[in-house]
Amino acid sequence: MLLEKGKISNFQLSVLIVGFVFGSSVIIPPGQGAGHDAWIACALGLMEGLLIVWIFTALAKQFKDKTIVEINSLVYGKILGKCISVLFIWYLFHLGALVLNNYARFFKLEIYPATPKAVGLLLVMLVCASTVGRGIEVLARCGLILAPLTLLVAVTDTLLVIPHIDLKNLLPILDVPIRKLLFVSHGTASFPFAETVAFLMVLAFVDKPEKGPSAVSRGLLISGFIFIMVAVRNAAVLGQMGTVYNYPTYIAVQVIDIGDIFNRLEALVAINLITMGFIKISILLYGTVLGLAQVFNLRSYRPIILPVGILMVILALTNVGNTLEMLEFASKGYSIYAVPFQIGIPLITLVIAKLRKLPPKGEVNS
Amino acid sequence: MTRGQRLKIYVIILLIIIPVFLSGCWDSIQLDKLSIVSGLGWDINLDTGDVTLTYQSIVPSQIKSTSSTSGSGEQKGGGALNTIQLDHSTGSSPYDALSRYTQHGSRIPYYRHTQVFIFGKDGAEQGIYPFIDTVARNPAGRPNILMAVSEKKASDILGVQNGMESIQAIGMAEEIKLSAAFSKYPEVTFLEFANRLMSKTTAPIAPMIGIFLETGPDGKKIQKIRITGTAVFKGDSMIGQLNERESSGLLWAINKIKKGFVMIPEASLEIVRAKSKIVPELQDDKIEITIEIDEESNLIEYKGRKDLTADIVQELEKGQAKEIKSQVMAAVEKSFSLDADVFGFGDAVHRKYKNEWKNLKPMWDEVYPNIKVVVKVKTHLNEIGDVNKALMKK
Repeated sequence: MLLEKGKISNFQLSVLIVGFVFGSSVIIPPGQGAGHDAWIACALGLMEGLLIVWIFTALAKQFKDKTIVEINSLVYGKILGKCISVLFIWYLFHLGALVLNNYARFFKLEIYPATPKAVGLLLVMLVCASTVGRGIEVLARCGLILAPLTLLVAVTDTLLVIPHIDLKNLLPILDVPIRKLLFVSHGTASFPFAETVAFLMVLAFVDKPEKGPSAVSRGLLISGFIFIMVAVRNAAVLGQMGTVYNYPTYIAVQVIDIGDIFNRLEALVAINLITMGFIKISILLYGTVLGLAQVFNLRSYRPIILPVGILMVILALTNVGNTLEMLEFASKGYSIYAVPFQIGIPLITLVIAKLRKLPPKGEVNS
Repeated sequence: MTRGQRLKIYVIILLIIIPVFLSGCWDSIQLDKLSIVSGLGWDINLDTGDVTLTYQSIVPSQIKSTSSTSGSGEQKGGGALNTIQLDHSTGSSPYDALSRYTQHGSRIPYYRHTQVFIFGKDGAEQGIYPFIDTVARNPAGRPNILMAVSEKKASDILGVQNGMESIQAIGMAEEIKLSAAFSKYPEVTFLEFANRLMSKTTAPIAPMIGIFLETGPDGKKIQKIRITGTAVFKGDSMIGQLNERESSGLLWAINKIKKGFVMIPEASLEIVRAKSKIVPELQDDKIEITIEIDEESNLIEYKGRKDLTADIVQELEKGQAKEIKSQVMAAVEKSFSLDADVFGFGDAVHRKYKNEWKNLKPMWDEVYPNIKVVVKVKTHLNEIGDVNKALMKK
C-alpha cells in the first residue's frame, strides 16, 4: 500500500526547502529581536538550524523511503510509535495554523482591512488543498516556479534600496547583551530554519535519499544567506525604526523611489508572502494529512485534505488574539515550544534506532 | 469540440471571473469616492490645546483645465481654478480631528499620496509625538513623506498656491527637495525624523518654510513659499532654528552635501563632490569630535581680474576650506547654545565606544555643550572653466 507514488529530485527538494524557509518569514524577518545585530542572530541561527537539519536528515537517511510516522512505528513499536507520530503531526498542523495566522494578520493590517480574514484564508486553503491532492510532485514543480521568483524579488528589492542604505546603522556591532543575542539566535533557528523538520514527511520521496542531507542543507544555506542580506538591508535602511515596525521588510521596500517611477513596490513583498506562504502551508498540510493517513492506515489521504485544511483555518482564526500576541509567541514562547518537535523527537528516535540497529540490514532497500 | 477549443473556452471564462475577485469585494476603493490628500497640516491652539488638521486634497476635475493657465500664479480663492481644496478639522488628538473630517467632507481621505506634513510653529513647540505615533501606526503613513515646520500656521501655508505646479503640496515637496539638492536646507523624511527621535540624544530637524510676497506679472502682490531655515527639535518639541549659514554647516557635517556652491570674497565655486565623516575620540571622559570634510569643486566665478596661477588656485582652495569651516563652526556653536545634538555626535560616540556610552547617555545634555569640536577640511579645485586668463585686467 503506497499513499504517495510520486518522486521528487534532490534539486526540487532544495527549492522546496528554500520556499518553505521563506514562508511567513518573508514579512517577519528572523532575528528582529536583536535590533541592528539581527544579521548576527540570523547567522548563528542558521548554524544551529544546520545542526538540527543534520540530526533529522540523518534519521531520514537511515530509513531511506520511510516517513517519520513509519519510522516511529518501527522504532517505538506500534502503539507508542503512533502516539509520538500524532504529537508530531499536531506540531505540523499547529505550525500550519500559525503560518495562516501570519498571513491573515498581515493582509488584514496592510492590504485588505475590510475583508474578513476567513475569506482570504479559505481561498488560500482551497489552493493549497488542491495542490496537496495532486501529490508531492506537483507541489515540487510549483516550488520550482515560485521560489526563484521570490529570490529574484528579494535581491531586486535590495539592489533598488541601495541608495537609502546607511551602513553606519549597523554599528556598534554586538550592541545587545550576549544572552539576549543567543536567545534571539535560538529563536531564528526554531523559526524558520529548524521548521524544516516537517520535511521528515517528504524526504522519503526523494529519488536519491543518500544525498538528501546535502540537498536540505543547500536549501537552508541559500535562504539563510538571503535572510542575512535582508537583515542587513532592513537595519541599514530603517535604522532604529527597524526595531519598532511589525513588518520591517514591508516598510523598507516602501522607501524605494527611483526617479519617481520605481516606487510603491511593497506589493511585491505581499506577493512573496502569498507564494511562499502557499508553499509552506501546502507542505505542512501535506505532512499532516499524509501522516494521519499513515497513522490510521487509510487507503488514501485525499478525502481528509479539506476537513483538515478547514480545521487548520479555524485554528488559525482562533488561536491568537492580536498581532502583538502573534509576534510575542513567535519571538519568545515558540522557540521553547518547538524544541521537543524539532530536536527532541528526531534526536531520540535516531539514538534509539542506532541502539536497536534499525532498520535491519536486509530490509533497507525493500 | 476538440480539446483545444474547450481549453480556450475555459481560459475565457477564467478571464471573466478573475477580475471580479481581483478588485477585492470588501476593500474595493472607487477613485471617485476618495479625496486624495496631498498635504497635511498640524496646528495646536495654544489656549485650548486642541489639534487642528488641515487637509489639502486634490480636486481631480480641476487639474486638466488649469495646467495651461497655472503659470499665471493664480492665488488662493482665485476663481474657479483651484486644483486643491482645504479642509480644517479640530479635535483633541490627531485621530479625533481626523474622525471629525466626516462632518464636512463628502469623500474618504486617502493618505497614500501625501507629499508633506506641515507643522505649525506653535504646534511644533508643543510637541508632535501624537502625530508621529499616528503616522507610524497607520499603514497609510509612508516612511518617505517629507516633514516641514511652517513659520506661521500650517493651515496658512497649505493655502498658498504655487505657480509652477498645479498641486501646491507637490510644489512644496519639490521646493524642499531642490533646496536639499543644492545643499541649502535639509530634506527630512518621516523615517529620518522618527529615527532621530528614537535615538534619544540626536535632535530631530526639519526645514522651515515661510510665506513671502512677490510682485506678480500684473503688478499685484502674490504670496509665495520659501524655505527659511532649519527647525531644531529636542525630543518631539521644537526649541529653535538654524539660519541659512548654520543649515549649510549642518549639512556639511552630516554628509548631506550634494550639489551647491561655496562663496568666498574673491570667487564662487561649484561643489562637485563632498564627503564628510564624524570621528569621535574619547579620553578620560573628555570627548573630542573631529569633523573631516573632503571636498572637490569647480571654479565658476572669479572676481579677481587676474590670470589664474597655481598660487591663486591654492589660495582659492584655502579660502574655500576656511569658509566651509566657519559654516560648520557656526552650526556647532548654535547647536551648543540650544544644547541639541543635531549632528548625531552622541550616536557617533555610541558607534565607537559602546561600553562607555552607557554612562554617557543619561548625562548627554550636560556633556554635549562641552565637547571639543575640530573641523578639518580638505578642498581640491578640479576645473577652472573655459577660460584661464582674465578677460579684463586691472
